Amino acid sequence: MVSRRRERLERGIKVRTDDVYALCSTKEMLYLVAPRLIPILVLLLLPLILPTYWQKVVIFTGVFALLSISWDFLYSFTGLVSLGQALFFGVGAYLAGSLNHYFDISPGLTIPISTIAGATLCTLFLLPALRLRGIYFAMITLVLPLIFLRIIEATAILGGTDGLTALAPLPGIWIELYLILGIMLVALFALRRLVNSDFGLVLRGIHDNDQAVKGAGINIYWYKAQALFIAALLGSFAGAYLTHVYMFVGLSAFALDFTVVPIAATVVGGMGTLGGSVLGAFILVPLSEVLRAFGPLRIVFYALLIVVFIILKPEGLFNYLQRKYREFERWVEV
Amino acid sequence: MKKKGLLLLTVAILIGSIFAGACAPKPAPPAPPIIIGAPLSTAYVYGWAAHRGMVLAIEEINAKGGVSIGGVMRPFKLEVIDTRDLEPGVPVAEALLAMEKLILEKKADVILGGPLRSEAALAAQDLLTKYKKVSILSAGVLSPAYHAKIAREYDKYKYAFRITSEVIWLSKEATDIFESLRKDYGFDRTFIMVQDVAHARAIGKIMEDGLTKKGFKVLGHEVYPTGAIDYSIGLAKAKAGGAQMLFIWMDHPETGILAKQWYDMKVEALPISGICSAIEQPGAWAGTEGKVNYWFASPCNAGNAPSTATEWTMKFYDAYKARWLIEPEAYGVSSSYMAVYVLADAITRAGSLEADALIAALEKTDMMGIYGRIRFDPKSHQIIPSYDPKEGAVGTWFQWQDGKRVVVWPPTIAMGTIKLPPCLKPVK
Amino acid sequence: MLENVLIYGLINGMVLALLAIGFALTFGISGIANFAHGALYILTGYTVWVFLHTLGTPYLLAIFLAMAITALIGAAIYNVILLRIRGMRSSEIIATFALALAILEAFRFFGFVGAKYTLPTFVEGSVSVAGVIVDYQRLILIGVGAGLVGLLWFFTHYTKTGLAFRAIAQVERTALTLGIDSDRMATLSLAFGAALAALAAIVLLPLGQITVETGLNVLLNALAICILGGLGSVTGIVAASLLLGYAQIITVTYIAPHWLMVVTLVAIFVVLLVKPSGLFGKQKELEERV
Repeated sequence: MVSRRRERLERGIKVRTDDVYALCSTKEMLYLVAPRLIPILVLLLLPLILPTYWQKVVIFTGVFALLSISWDFLYSFTGLVSLGQALFFGVGAYLAGSLNHYFDISPGLTIPISTIAGATLCTLFLLPALRLRGIYFAMITLVLPLIFLRIIEATAILGGTDGLTALAPLPGIWIELYLILGIMLVALFALRRLVNSDFGLVLRGIHDNDQAVKGAGINIYWYKAQALFIAALLGSFAGAYLTHVYMFVGLSAFALDFTVVPIAATVVGGMGTLGGSVLGAFILVPLSEVLRAFGPLRIVFYALLIVVFIILKPEGLFNYLQRKYREFERWVEV
Repeated sequence: MKKKGLLLLTVAILIGSIFAGACAPKPAPPAPPIIIGAPLSTAYVYGWAAHRGMVLAIEEINAKGGVSIGGVMRPFKLEVIDTRDLEPGVPVAEALLAMEKLILEKKADVILGGPLRSEAALAAQDLLTKYKKVSILSAGVLSPAYHAKIAREYDKYKYAFRITSEVIWLSKEATDIFESLRKDYGFDRTFIMVQDVAHARAIGKIMEDGLTKKGFKVLGHEVYPTGAIDYSIGLAKAKAGGAQMLFIWMDHPETGILAKQWYDMKVEALPISGICSAIEQPGAWAGTEGKVNYWFASPCNAGNAPSTATEWTMKFYDAYKARWLIEPEAYGVSSSYMAVYVLADAITRAGSLEADALIAALEKTDMMGIYGRIRFDPKSHQIIPSYDPKEGAVGTWFQWQDGKRVVVWPPTIAMGTIKLPPCLKPVK
Repeated sequence: MLENVLIYGLINGMVLALLAIGFALTFGISGIANFAHGALYILTGYTVWVFLHTLGTPYLLAIFLAMAITALIGAAIYNVILLRIRGMRSSEIIATFALALAILEAFRFFGFVGAKYTLPTFVEGSVSVAGVIVDYQRLILIGVGAGLVGLLWFFTHYTKTGLAFRAIAQVERTALTLGIDSDRMATLSLAFGAALAALAAIVLLPLGQITVETGLNVLLNALAICILGGLGSVTGIVAASLLLGYAQIITVTYIAPHWLMVVTLVAIFVVLLVKPSGLFGKQKELEERV
């Protein structure tokens, strides 16, 4: 019996040593560009071939993908465990809803205003909690949306339990579709770039060892606040956007699903990659729609799938695929 | 290599089966069915009960050949979708997406049933407008905001109808029960306990104002958050103030706790609850070990509890029991059943499924149903209520009496008289 | 009204303590936040119901069987799921939470919804305490809660397993060098936590109804108490429960019931911001939190 082991080798490409060669070889250019270009093209072409209902599902998926990116950015790069994507979403949604309902501002303005104002508000709300870590920060973020929900319920402001209906819609499904897909792609690639910049480096430092970063004379709270603002931007945009798509905002904007689904999507897709979050969202959300026919059993399937995934592929799909793409494996005799 | 071969084989089989499916000779269907889309929160009693009501009606109609539309008999086909809108933590947007699935993918011709949560239903009105789909709401939503919205902007929201009652009429019925109790027993002290949801809060407020105006003494008015598990303080306040009647309006399952606590704390007051899923259901008696005795509840429309409002009432009641091996369980059953018949009638008269024709036909609906004469108000598309089943839709309030749900109100259809708990003595 | 507040505040506090104590025990020992706590609570309720009504088992036997089953499931959760992802906090939380969803929704799917799903009280009837009428079940609940707290204190201070629990909780590595098996302790801690959830369910569910929705509420309450009290000591849990219990009842009595949830949530918020270690937490928790 000869014992063997599996050896992993990185695919040698010249680009890693010398950029000029990559530019000379189409094959290697393709190798570098394809994994980015193909998903973009597929995403942009997909809506053209889908029936109307599935276009709606794509919209939903885009919203959850944005929330997932926002969660992954906070968790994997800043070390803030957030259970409050619903907070970002809800604040953005209610801002857009009330701006449109009470002041009659058109969606073209409410969405950008509530994205920025919402992110600012969320950052301010969470500012006092920034010194907390781990599950304790998580608890604050979980509790805040619930407080808002209960306050709106108890005081009946902003439409109370009925919500605000008959808000202005966006002009047409194509704008709806490409707005969310465009913003999602921009957010994805911009953040992937950001986390590799100096700013991102500091954030990763905070994630790994915040005391050390503090020791280097860097104000970690300022960096954490900035990261929070960026994550909240994405969440608030998603909220404001979906409010106008469905012409409605209500208490359910703070629903737990907006927190749970993004986390699940990121876990399935792979944490710490941002792209994994999008991949996860594009698997889980349509899957949940396909399973809808099973009624309550759908949640059982869905939940069990997540459990199985976490046990069997804790690294996530994206990391797995990335590894397969970049490295090849072979059996060698020992 | 082996793996690749397997993969190829799988792909080949898949492609093959798709082609085989496409090429298989399809028997030409006699007439395309009329598709009824029902967005319901099927995991809740209000959802599954409404579903069963619709299935029964559709089976009966299809057994007779279906609906005649322009001389062609077409069967009904029901497409139910689980909206989960009654579940906490689920965004309304998801319920709306489910409704769009019914409209866009299942090609529903008409929407019946829900959504059940008022928040979702109000938002769904805008979708109905967007897709120009006629809808008859037959379960869940009791909020007056629903038909107020139609009356306010008729042209925009004319697609929606509601075939069940709403809280303003229900509060009139409740007030009349209080009046009758005052007349018969001299009770005039009451305590109000409602849940923190729109329809319950609305009726709580209407009742407090109305009863105070009529000279009742309202000792307190407590609003409980959804999921509250302790009612001792409210009950203690009612007891301390000497309340003789409790007014209760809650649709969360924790109301069962309230019933048990009422019994255990020996509160000497008659509990008059309205829409109350935990009290309405036939299982409530066994579930509370009979502690629910003397409780009032209203499953909203006649037919959900045994009575002889019209000739159809008991016929429906027995048919339902035979089909599902359980009595109509809660609010929304008789109305969902009725909605299918009203729709069939309107389609026949309209002669088409086109929205405007159907709306015009529905507005002219005038038929004797399970809970009396069914007519819609032409401006608000709300069913016209009445105490007299010959004039309009009658409600129904029953009292738990020794394990039976005995209808005691309105008097025109009552099957028994109101009984008082032994500890509660009439003042007169 | 004051007597009412005093007595029902105590009851409410004990309810919260019972809900939280299993969760706190598991988290305190193995650092695993078992988000399936609420689902296990509900699972026990339905198990007892099935034993009682479908199989006709005597009540007492049904209770013990259900507790044993729930404890076994707790141990299985560790050995089948958590063992493989130990140390990855977010994965632990997501896995247990997903499992909770699966359990709860499965009950919903199989039709465990409706007014008939209730458990009988242990002793029927009620008694007047200082002019306030309290039923026996609630008196039993106070007794069980107090007894449990005492037992736990004894267990963690005077038995070998209990001491091992505390050792693992304090410094895991040192405990390992002393021959304490970390995985075995974690399995035990989950089984114990599950059994305590089961006990809470058995004592509390006869007061009301077994519903799927309760599962999430139980989890939220447990989390709230643990954060308020700090995870260090049983004393902290009890104190936080009583504090929150009385705060809720006072709100209901003198302000309005619909501010009840707001009070709880704001309490968590304020405590975390002002004293992040929790009301009774010690230095070690502080390090973890800030």
